[in-house]
Amino acid sequence: MTNTEKLKDLIVDVFLIDPKEFHPDLKREQIETWDSLGVVSLAVGVQETFGQHFTQDEAIGITGIRDVIGILEARGISFDE
Amino acid sequence: MSSPQIRDLAWLKSLPKSAAVLRSSPSVRVRVSAELPFPSISSFDEIPATAAALVVAGGGSLMDEAKHFRARKRPALNLVLIPTIWGSGAESSPIAVLNREGAKQICIGGEFLPDAVIYWPELLDTISPARARRACGDVWSHALEAFLSPLACDSLRGELAALIAEVLRLPLSTDPRWFQAGTRACALQARASVGLVHGIAHVLEHPMRVRYPDQDWGHARLCSVFLLPVMNLNRAASSKWADLARQCAVDQDAVWSVLQRLFELEGFAAALPFLRENWAKILRDPCTRTNGTLVRAGRLDEIERQVAA
Repeated sequence: MTNTEKLKDLIVDVFLIDPKEFHPDLKREQIETWDSLGVVSLAVGVQETFGQHFTQDEAIGITGIRDVIGILEARGISFDE
Repeated sequence: MSSPQIRDLAWLKSLPKSAAVLRSSPSVRVRVSAELPFPSISSFDEIPATAAALVVAGGGSLMDEAKHFRARKRPALNLVLIPTIWGSGAESSPIAVLNREGAKQICIGGEFLPDAVIYWPELLDTISPARARRACGDVWSHALEAFLSPLACDSLRGELAALIAEVLRLPLSTDPRWFQAGTRACALQARASVGLVHGIAHVLEHPMRVRYPDQDWGHARLCSVFLLPVMNLNRAASSKWADLARQCAVDQDAVWSVLQRLFELEGFAAALPFLRENWAKILRDPCTRTNGTLVRAGRLDEIERQVAA
């Protein structure tokens, strides 16, 4: 499974969205379940899936999927697949 | 926000008969009414305008209803709670969990704290062994879910580990020490969160009570039944439990032994169809969303497979 596929599965499970709705440009305000609990759940899921912890500032500053990808790429996880 | 005063029974008995009214759950009504001098009521609406205090002897649901009634309708009334079972922590928390039209409504605020709490150990004679064990499961689920909570900090986990070590020494049966343990577990989980066990319990309590009205499908039983399957799920999802337990010197084997003794296979099998039917709702429950590991939609299959295992 590629990292993009892993991320897609993660986002679908964390925010309970239809897999067809997923795309990398999704923004926080477009997902109803991306509330404060969603941020917690996303952090748990990223740790389990990619072995990476968000800092508090990172978690608060995420405005969409592109930000998640950016944080993970900065830690050496590639999404160029 | 100040904690309720811990008073003794002698203090309560010394109050004038006209000072209070008494509401108690059916399981203790005869005994409590025989020992306390206050007139009994069967509904909060029966409280006379002249009453200065309301004394409530019962479980978590009745105590929470009393706290809500006092806060919303009679704020000047003194509220004295006598818990008849441990686990909910309702007697000392600023939270009132209400059952409204099949859903849980959670109210939080200092106005929900009672004025006084009385522990009356002799009332524990009325509790059946099964109900006592399930109440222990309620305490255990608060402690373990808070310990794994993504919102728990290291110092809180240290306090929870100390509590876990203490409750490991308690029997899974009637023992007054469970009251204090239950109160502490509730206070500690309030500083973090609970998880999937509570998400399941909140969603399934109403439909299971409607389907099996005589089988004690309350919060404590659901917590007891699902604690082992959920902890198995957490343990399979990541090394978080093992890592934290090692860091905090929690005896993992001893904990698992307790979870196995709390588990009820027959009850689990009875609850599974409800779990399947309500899974989408459980995934959206706020408690589920702060579980220690990510609860993915496909993990229902893993829970179901545990019956066979």
